[in-house]
Amino acid sequence: MSLLEVKSLQKIYTTRFGGNQVQALSNVSFSVENGEYLAIMGESGSGKTTLLNILASLDKPTGGEVFLDGNNIVKIKDSEISAFRRDNLGFVFQDFNLLDTFSIQDNIFLPLVLSQKPYEEMNKRLKPLSKKLGIDEILPKYPYEISGGQKQRTAVARALITNPKLILADEPTGALDSKAAMNLLKIFSEINEAGQTILMVTHSIAAASHAKRVLFIKDGEIYNQIYRGSMNNDEMYQKISMTLTVLATGGVKGE
Amino acid sequence: MNKIFYPKLALTNLKKNADTYVPYILTCIGSIIAFYTMISFYGNKGLDEMPGSINLKTILFLGTIVIGIFSTIFLFYTNSFLIKRRKKELGLYSILGMEKKHIARVLFYETVVVTIVSLTLGLLGGILIGKLLYLLLLKLLHFTTPIQFYIDGRGLLITAGIFLVIFFLTLLTNFIQVKMANPINLLKGGEQGEKEPKSSWIVTLFGIISLGIGYGIALTVKSPVEAILLFFVAVIFVIIGTYALFTSGSIALLKVLKKNKNFYYQSRNFISVSGMIYRMKQNAVGLANICILSTMVLVTISTTVSLYIGQESMMRDMYHFDMIVVGENTGNDEALVAESIQKTAEQRGVNPTDQINLRLGNLTAFLEGDHFMPDLVAKEDKDNNYYTTKTDVWLIPLEDYNKMSDTSTDLNENEVMIFSVGDNYNQKTMTFGDRSFSVKENLQTFPLNNKKAELVGKTCYIIVKDEGVIADIQNNLYPDNNSKSLLFGKFFNLEGNDEAKLAFSENVFQQVEGINPDIDKASYYVSLTEWYSIFGGFLFLGVFLGTLFMMATVLIIYFKQISEGYEDRDRFEIMQKVGMDKAEVKKTIGKQILMVFFLPLAGATIHVAFAFRVMAKMLAAFRLTDTGLILICTIVVTLIYALIYALVYWWTAKAYYKLVK
Repeated sequence: MSLLEVKSLQKIYTTRFGGNQVQALSNVSFSVENGEYLAIMGESGSGKTTLLNILASLDKPTGGEVFLDGNNIVKIKDSEISAFRRDNLGFVFQDFNLLDTFSIQDNIFLPLVLSQKPYEEMNKRLKPLSKKLGIDEILPKYPYEISGGQKQRTAVARALITNPKLILADEPTGALDSKAAMNLLKIFSEINEAGQTILMVTHSIAAASHAKRVLFIKDGEIYNQIYRGSMNNDEMYQKISMTLTVLATGGVKGE
Repeated sequence: MNKIFYPKLALTNLKKNADTYVPYILTCIGSIIAFYTMISFYGNKGLDEMPGSINLKTILFLGTIVIGIFSTIFLFYTNSFLIKRRKKELGLYSILGMEKKHIARVLFYETVVVTIVSLTLGLLGGILIGKLLYLLLLKLLHFTTPIQFYIDGRGLLITAGIFLVIFFLTLLTNFIQVKMANPINLLKGGEQGEKEPKSSWIVTLFGIISLGIGYGIALTVKSPVEAILLFFVAVIFVIIGTYALFTSGSIALLKVLKKNKNFYYQSRNFISVSGMIYRMKQNAVGLANICILSTMVLVTISTTVSLYIGQESMMRDMYHFDMIVVGENTGNDEALVAESIQKTAEQRGVNPTDQINLRLGNLTAFLEGDHFMPDLVAKEDKDNNYYTTKTDVWLIPLEDYNKMSDTSTDLNENEVMIFSVGDNYNQKTMTFGDRSFSVKENLQTFPLNNKKAELVGKTCYIIVKDEGVIADIQNNLYPDNNSKSLLFGKFFNLEGNDEAKLAFSENVFQQVEGINPDIDKASYYVSLTEWYSIFGGFLFLGVFLGTLFMMATVLIIYFKQISEGYEDRDRFEIMQKVGMDKAEVKKTIGKQILMVFFLPLAGATIHVAFAFRVMAKMLAAFRLTDTGLILICTIVVTLIYALIYALVYWWTAKAYYKLVK
């Protein structure tokens, strides 16, 4: 069985007084296998963020179902949704979303503290993780004292520390310089090698070219997908940019 | 077009920022009303005709100054808050191509609008509320004198002048802020100050010591005179301590909590402790302000209410009889006084009762052991120390004593009985110069006075065998003094309605004055009206200042909630993304705000608890010794205040949730 299964997902936004309807997602179906590294690409307004919000259980779809490990997350009660998100999903955001009131260490601990894990266990999990991500030296510092790359690695550590089934990344390289971005993508590849399932939404071809599979969304629908197969990153890059060109110039769906 | 562009932009800005500008303008209006009301009271001619008006005017003058200083501080505080909030907007203007002088022009027009609105509404409101409060004050004073309400032109001018200066100064500080900052700074202005606060153990220790000294003074004060002098010293120490502890101590405490891993890494503590550390840094001064203001409100209102409620019993302590006339027994003064009393009583329809007429001798002396030493202090050397150490001695012949207390005691030449007000006279004997007596009895009750301690100095009544002994004592103590004649004393109560009693007292006063101006006279009713005017003034001022401080507190709380709402919005969004549910967010916020906002109230309550002893001592200086009454007044006032505080908290917390959601 797939880890994540999305079935005919639909999302329609209605303006408050009912007048206009905007269809953000019309019919999206795909699945993600355990250990996969999937990138979702699309232009602004294509519906990727809506899709990610629904997967993250931050938003509810108008129609369709989403199964994570066999559980329909659309049907989870509001009261349980936060705990579900905390235990099963890890998030990496474009703008890091670190809290200035916490040190780096405490930012990473946040989800564990929320699920009331004892300090010893948190500490045990933090040690190897921070070493792997190269942030073990900045743990006592505060977000305003460190660089963007370090902030994003902190966010990755916060996402990983709960041992989530799925990492959801929303434009993780969006606010980073190219060096920090490459560094982060390397980390993503590494943790994926180690068996972590990742779903990343991005604009960046460079970012997407690290993934094992790339989904293209246009106007709320899946437009195309590319499998890495035996391609290396450069070939993948070429393939993605070609697809995007076709996408931008208005190719026909399913080509 | 250019001419109206800036005023128009200024108006739009004010409308867009109505959330924060409406409370700000309300603050300005409130301050102006308060200031004008005070100053117009002070300048009111009608007040001069009231008894005790000099005292009242002094209090009102002080009140005016306090309000002036307070308004200035407070308007600066709110203004700095506003401009901090708007830095982003101003930065945007400058990025869009406005020069600093253009921004300054917008700020100028904004201030002009705020000034015009506040002054117009404030002065109009002042005139209106002035009228209302005037009627209230007259009612409080138990007076029906129809003093004409009037509009105080001079007061209006002074108020307008002072507030124009204040507005100008706030504008100036805004100019300076804009001038100092570059656009990027302005854009990020609202987000600055996110560094982790440092706690200084030295400052904390200093705060604890300072608070300790203040509390120590408050707890060890002995006499009422001392209380009044030391109270201000204690207040200053406590204020310093409060600021130090709120700014540094709170953070130090939170850091200690943070170091305790098992406590800190609990989901609720985790967020509130770290959040509080930040919040305290930004809000410590504001919270300390609230704490001190609250203490002021509680102390002023409690004491003034106690005074007002307790004054009749206080007066009763001071005046054992409704009326007392004591004069030298020369000529036929006594007969004339008696006649005046009788005639006036008939005219006014009152009935003198419990009458005591007696002869007595009076002298002042210093008591050392059992020796009464002569009082040789020159008039110009009579200082505070003199009045606290001297003893007023009243010598009464046995015959008169037996008559008034309906007893038939016997005394020989060398025996006396003594009634000492306050502490008992503990010696077996007493000596005046060469003449010694043995004390036959230490009386515990006495018709002429009660046992309650005098405030300043001591008083004792000594009963001796006869007038000869009185003269002997006087001669022994003051051999060179000639005026040792015996005095006559008339003590009596009055029956009749209150107005008649007052009229009777005033008439008799006048007539006795005509008979011989040296005759001493005292009337409970005359004094009562005087004290009503003083305590009514106190109460009015207490409630007025209390209301003003309370208004300030409410607005500080409002501004804090709103500013925190903006800052916390993002933080709680992140926490929700990371997996915190809404209910938990709401609970955490609630707990955090509750702690932050009730900390000042708790601080104020502790301050008041420590101040209670001083308050009681100070009130004792006004002869209010009923500690139970003071305690009840203080507790009731504190409870009411806490209730109002909680309502304000609830109201602003709602605004806060709306922002965060």
